[in-house]
Amino acid sequence: MDFALNEEQRILRGQILRFAQDKLNKDVRQRDRDQVFQRELWGACAQMGLTGLPVPQAYGGPGLDSLSTAIAIDALGYGCEDSGLVFSICAHLLACVVPIWKFGTEEQKNRYLPGLCDGTLIAANAMSEPESGSDAFAMQTRAEPHGDGFLINGTKTFVSNGPVADVAVVFAVTDRAKGYFGGITSFLVDRALPGYRVAQKFEKMGLRTSPIGELVFEDVFVSKDAVLGGVGGGSRLFAHSMDWERACLFASHIGTMERLLEKAVAYTRTRRQSGQAISKHQAVAHKIADMKMQVEAARLLVYKAAWGLERSQSVSLDAAVSKLFVSESLVRTTLDVVQVFGGYGFLSEFEVERAVRDAIGSKLYSGTSEIQRNIIAGWLGL
Amino acid sequence: MNSIQIRTMARDFILNEFLPGERPENLTDSTELITDGILDSLATLKLVAYLEKSCGIEIAPDELVPENLNSIAQIANFVQSKQAST
Repeated sequence: MDFALNEEQRILRGQILRFAQDKLNKDVRQRDRDQVFQRELWGACAQMGLTGLPVPQAYGGPGLDSLSTAIAIDALGYGCEDSGLVFSICAHLLACVVPIWKFGTEEQKNRYLPGLCDGTLIAANAMSEPESGSDAFAMQTRAEPHGDGFLINGTKTFVSNGPVADVAVVFAVTDRAKGYFGGITSFLVDRALPGYRVAQKFEKMGLRTSPIGELVFEDVFVSKDAVLGGVGGGSRLFAHSMDWERACLFASHIGTMERLLEKAVAYTRTRRQSGQAISKHQAVAHKIADMKMQVEAARLLVYKAAWGLERSQSVSLDAAVSKLFVSESLVRTTLDVVQVFGGYGFLSEFEVERAVRDAIGSKLYSGTSEIQRNIIAGWLGL
Repeated sequence: MNSIQIRTMARDFILNEFLPGERPENLTDSTELITDGILDSLATLKLVAYLEKSCGIEIAPDELVPENLNSIAQIANFVQSKQAST
């Protein structure tokens, strides 16, 4: 077992770090305040290969292995202080690009992947509905056979990138009698299709630069060529993309935690109270020691899950363990950093206040902490 | 791997993982696993992961349907057909 990054991975990490620090952090506070998604920044990230990391070069991506993909996202999370932008990239990449790459037909891969990788197309995953969240397959959106294709009707909510997406991976019931397995199908639905409507955009606590909203489908006709992963294959496709998302999206949070840890160390070594640096107070130092422990443990869990994506036929257990630990560590770390910064941590002027707001959602998206515990318990035979 | 071996393997896995304490004779080759609620969504994915690893097959998204997995007999037929096609 070798825990060191190889030469290529070290170069990759360094390049992404420098890029993110140089290009992505300008006016973050303002963008967060105004909830602005900047397509120019998306394009810059695409030029760096970030919007298609594991996609083979034949389809326009850099063709990284899954572990290197996680290392790249970790570096992006460290270098980029705009967590909303990072989240949008990960939602696009892991819940849309990866399933197209893994389960798409050659025609679908050739049609979508080059644009999704080079930044001209943005994708959204449309699963959640107003009445189905964690119980995702209680969905009401239906796709009924019509001519040489399907008519899709329904409303999707909490669609990350929904307001700006050019194409959506939409899950719909095709055979309610079959239920979870065999009854759900995923479709590639272009924004330009008649009946596809971007409805309300949500205002939210954190990740405010990542647009999220509702998509409405009213008699949207898609040809049978739009079926992704076969009719009835939606549940497996969704589970697979969740493995990638839980394993790799949360790599970005390791980078965030590491950046916050370094800020806390720097701050507490210079901030003086009662005649000494506050880092000399054990109550402060112990919080920072815990942050370090969480970063190191989180990285091992995430890298192990990401490594397994190409080696095991299911990493659901590792991905759930990793997602649960990282998200809860992230929230704990951000709250501790605010505590360490004291009153300054409460001000918008410093990053830490925004980091708390951005962190809270991590215990909700990609399956809540409670769902992750259910998954872990299930794999343990409980 | 013949049909009997696959049935035995699948039965042992289901009893051990999802029906602890159940009498083995109550799980027959035709017991409905998905439609009778023995396998929920997570359990089905766990069974699929086990079959893929143990039998050296890869199950496509649209093959994960009750017609292939709803009973031990169907599982055996499905696994055998996958092995024959690889």
